[in-house]
Amino acid sequence: MLKTIVVAFDGSEQSHKAFSLGLEIAARFQATLLAVGVVRLPEPAISIEVEALLDRGKEHFAEEFSRLREESEKRGVVFDSHVAVGHPAEQIVRYAEDNHANLIVMGRRGLTRATRWILGSVSERVLRYAHCPVTVIK
Amino acid sequence: MAEVWLLAAVWVGLALIAVLLAIKLRISTALSEIVVGTVAQLIIGATAGTAFLGAQQPWVSFLAGAGAIVLTFLAGCELDPQVFLARWKDATLIGLVGFLAPFLGCATIAYYVLHWSPSASWLAGVAMSTTSVAVVYAVMLELGLNTTSFGKAILAACFVNDLGTVIALGLIFAPFTYKTGVFVGLSAVVFAILPWLTPRFFHRYSNRVSELEAKYLLLLLFGMGGIATWSGSEAVLPAYLIGMVLASTVGKDHILIRRLRTLTFGLLPPFYFIRAGSFVSIPALVAAPLAFIILFLAKSLTKFVGVFPVTKLFRYGKEEGLYTTMLMSTGLTFGTISALFGLSHGIIDQAQYSYLVATVIASAVIPTVIANAFFLPRHLLPERIAEPDREPAAVGSPEAL
Repeated sequence: MLKTIVVAFDGSEQSHKAFSLGLEIAARFQATLLAVGVVRLPEPAISIEVEALLDRGKEHFAEEFSRLREESEKRGVVFDSHVAVGHPAEQIVRYAEDNHANLIVMGRRGLTRATRWILGSVSERVLRYAHCPVTVIK
Repeated sequence: MAEVWLLAAVWVGLALIAVLLAIKLRISTALSEIVVGTVAQLIIGATAGTAFLGAQQPWVSFLAGAGAIVLTFLAGCELDPQVFLARWKDATLIGLVGFLAPFLGCATIAYYVLHWSPSASWLAGVAMSTTSVAVVYAVMLELGLNTTSFGKAILAACFVNDLGTVIALGLIFAPFTYKTGVFVGLSAVVFAILPWLTPRFFHRYSNRVSELEAKYLLLLLFGMGGIATWSGSEAVLPAYLIGMVLASTVGKDHILIRRLRTLTFGLLPPFYFIRAGSFVSIPALVAAPLAFIILFLAKSLTKFVGVFPVTKLFRYGKEEGLYTTMLMSTGLTFGTISALFGLSHGIIDQAQYSYLVATVIASAVIPTVIANAFFLPRHLLPERIAEPDREPAAVGSPEAL
C-alpha cells in the first residue's frame, strides 16, 4: 500500500513528467504527495553567492509548488512541499526517509558521459541510497 | 578611450566565461573566476604580452579593490550578534585558536622550512589563518545545523577567526606612525556612531529610487578604506568591522542587503577574483610544487592541532569535533585578499603569491572533491559508514541511468 509518495522536482520538463506520474499514482492509492526541491549551492561557496542562490531558489520553488498544489487539489490529493539545500541526491533521500515515503518518483537529466563523470548522476545516487523503491522517468 | 572600452570588454568576457564554467561544473563563480584569470594570463601573456590584460591599470585595480571591500562588508554583515552573545565563550575560544594555530604555525613553517623572509612568513601565516563562513554555513544548511546551538556557535567562531585574520592583515604590516593613530582613533569614533546614526538616517531617507542607502554605505566603505590605506593598513579591515558593527541593523534588512548584492555582484567581485587569478604564475607552481604541498599540509595540520582539542574542551563529540575542524580549514575570499595585499605591497613575490593562492584554493576544493568522489549521504554516515555498498532498491541497473 502506497501512503506517501515523494516527487523530486526541479522545474525541468523531466521533473514535470515525474510529478504527473506521482500525482497519478497518489490519486489511485489515495496517497499523500510530497514534492521536494533542492537548492544546490556552488562549491566552495562564498557568502554573497550563497545568499543570492538561496533567495532565488526559494522564489523559484514557491512559484512552482503553488502550481503543483493547485493540480493536486483538483485531483483530490493531499499535497505538501519542501525546499532543501545541499546535494540533490542526499537531500531527496533524506526527505524521503524523514517522511517515511513508500516511493520516490524523479526524472533524469540525461547527462553526457563527461558531465556524469564530473558531477555524478543524481538519479543513480538516489537509487543507490534510498530506503524505498525509486521510479526514474526518462 | 577606445583601449579602455576594449579592455573592459575583455574582462567582462572573461567574467562571462567564468560564469558559464561555474554553471557547467557547479563550482562557485569566485573559484571559476580565479582559475579563468590564471589561465587567461597564461595564454594571453604567452601570445600578446604580459601587460595585455591590464591587471595593473588603475581603473581595474579600483574595481577589483571595490569588489574586495564590498565582499568583506557583506561577509561582516552576516554576523548574528545575538547568537554571538549567547555563545561567546566557545565561539571566541574556537575562533581565536582557529586563527592563531595556523597563523603562528604556517608563519613558522614558511620561515624555517621554506626560508621565506620574516614579513613574507607573517603574511603566509595571515593568508593561511582564514576560514570560510560561507562554506561552513552551506554545510550547516545542508545538515539543518544552522538553527542548532552547535551550528550557531561554529558560525560565530568563524567570524572571530576571520576577524583575527583581518586585524592581523590590517595591523601587522602597518608602519605605526601618527597616521596609524589617526586611523585607529577615527575608526573608534565612526564605529561608535554608526549603529546609532545609520538606522535613523535610513528611516528618514530610505526607499528612494536613487539607492540612497547604497551611496551612504559606499561612502563609508570607500572613505574608511581610503584612510586605512593612507595609514599603511588595508581597506578590507574597516569594511569587515563596519559590516560587523552594522550587522544588527543593515544586516537584518534583507531587502537592502539583496539590493546591495544586485548592485555589486555582477560587476565588482569578478574584477577582484579574475585579477587575483591573473597574478598566479603557473610556471612558478610547476617549478616548485613542494612549497605549495608544504603550505597545504601546514594549514591542514595546524588547523587540526589547534581546533580539534578546543572542541574537546567544550565536550563536543568526536564526530562534531572532527567536522568542526574540517569545516574551519577552508577559506577563499580572505585568503586571496591577504595574498594580494602581500603582492601589491612587495611583501611577497609572484612565486610566493602563487603558492599561497594555490593553497587557499586547494584548502577549499580538495575536501569537496574528496566528498564528491566518495559520495555518501552525510546524514547517513554514523549509521552506515561501515556498511558495504548496498544493492539499489529499485529494479534495474543504476549504470543505465
